[in-house]
Amino acid sequence: MATIELGGKVFEIDGDGFLTDPAVWNDEVATLFAKADGIEEMNDKHWAIVRIIRNNFEEKGNAPMIRMICQETGLKLREIYELFPLGPARGACRVAGLPKPDGCV
Amino acid sequence: MDRNKKEKGLDVLSGKIDNKLLTNLNSCVRCGLCADSCMFFKALNEPKYIPARKVALVSSVYRRYFTLSGKIAPVLVNAKELDDHTAEEMVDLLFGACTMCGRCVKHCSIGVDIPYVVRKGREMLAAMDMVPATLQATVDSALTTGNNMGIPEEEFTGTISWMEEELIDEMGDEKARIPLNEMHKEIFYTLNPREPKFFPLSISAMAKIFYAANENWTLSSKFYDITNYGFFNGNKAQAGQIAGNLYEEIHRLRGKKMVLGECGHGSRANRWEGPNYLGREYDFDMITAVELISGYIKQGRIKLDKSLNKELVTIHDPCNLVRNGGLLEEIRHVVSSSCSNYTEMDPHGNENFCCGGGGGFLAMSEYNDRRIKIGEIKAEQIRKTGAKVVVTPCHNCVDQLSQLNHTYKLGVKIKTIAELVADALIIRKNN
Repeated sequence: MATIELGGKVFEIDGDGFLTDPAVWNDEVATLFAKADGIEEMNDKHWAIVRIIRNNFEEKGNAPMIRMICQETGLKLREIYELFPLGPARGACRVAGLPKPDGCV
Repeated sequence: MDRNKKEKGLDVLSGKIDNKLLTNLNSCVRCGLCADSCMFFKALNEPKYIPARKVALVSSVYRRYFTLSGKIAPVLVNAKELDDHTAEEMVDLLFGACTMCGRCVKHCSIGVDIPYVVRKGREMLAAMDMVPATLQATVDSALTTGNNMGIPEEEFTGTISWMEEELIDEMGDEKARIPLNEMHKEIFYTLNPREPKFFPLSISAMAKIFYAANENWTLSSKFYDITNYGFFNGNKAQAGQIAGNLYEEIHRLRGKKMVLGECGHGSRANRWEGPNYLGREYDFDMITAVELISGYIKQGRIKLDKSLNKELVTIHDPCNLVRNGGLLEEIRHVVSSSCSNYTEMDPHGNENFCCGGGGGFLAMSEYNDRRIKIGEIKAEQIRKTGAKVVVTPCHNCVDQLSQLNHTYKLGVKIKTIAELVADALIIRKNN
């Protein structure tokens, strides 16, 4: 099992750098993972996206459609891609502590 | 190794006499020309990654069980036991160190179809239940839900209505549509599930092109997934079941022509492999989105203003569409018609390197580090062009290129062909 050390803490991750155990996730973890992706500070928009993804995961066990993220946050698609340069899957879902979604992402 | 498991693996090689396999297993002359064609050998620089070694691995197992010399004196003919160690080595090299890009075949002095042998090796591993878990999960998702991301139908439909509203807004036309489940249409269009799930701009781009061409088309809300990871995991029965989804759906909707969305392996799996998986010929036409758009431009069905795409563009050639699919000219026709100037990578076209994420590699977390490492070759190709935009008609390539863009700080935009074309469209309102 691979690990990553962020901010003095060690996390177990899969090969793609996603948290192995989604249960260890909290706000601090999100901040640390975001920083590792070059997002120095999580702003309100980042948090709004992460919360929706996280809630969907906790309710339904997977990541929400991008439509839901846009409609719930009122953000434009392009804004989401700018906020998370690695995209909604490898960027936002990883920060939200989800396992890597299947498919071409 | 469990005897039953071993026999299942060996059955793949024994089956009925497969002349193609025998020829490819026995023809390598170890000239070594394939070495420098392979991204894995170039980037990781260990002899085990040379394509000929991957062929040798499968052929040494073949020799051990199916030739007289291999049965009597395996050591003398370098024949290998199929034991746990060999099987692990096969997983590591055939799943974990080959994107099946086929570049080595171009450079092979006698034309051994190396990815074909790799695929046979994968079939053995599939029979032995040794497919990497993350790759199998993607296949399982397609088998159980009808698409490889497990998108429920109502969520797909919701996304399409949302994209349709945006299209109406953007075109300023109440009649602009993204049709769903309509019967008897000229075109039955297909998507990669990552489009509705996370990257729908390519759907709206294609919808704009259809709008501009005044096309008669539809999507299905049930079966639209062009991907077929059964092409990668080596399980033909699963590949056949997945290929059957689109086949049945175009019949149900009485569509005339299937247009394959921008997906390299999906195009190949449906267009060239599909009839073999299904055991029957198609009774409808099938073309790729690139060919469709190229046709629209040639026929004057869409008008483009190149000056709307001013930044320097370069093309990434998806292996399954260009080297293994013959679309070299069509892609260049579309791109050169849609932007002010484009430049080629070195090398390009049939000689271009894989993005580094092919062969199911992008889906396999197990080999993430290798994937990013071999991708450095592609990253440097891109950097040297000086281009600001990289266009490629494959969503899998788009995702790998986006990661390379981030990791190697290339500062480029990655686009599908439809996105580039849509940005250059001159729109007249349809009546």
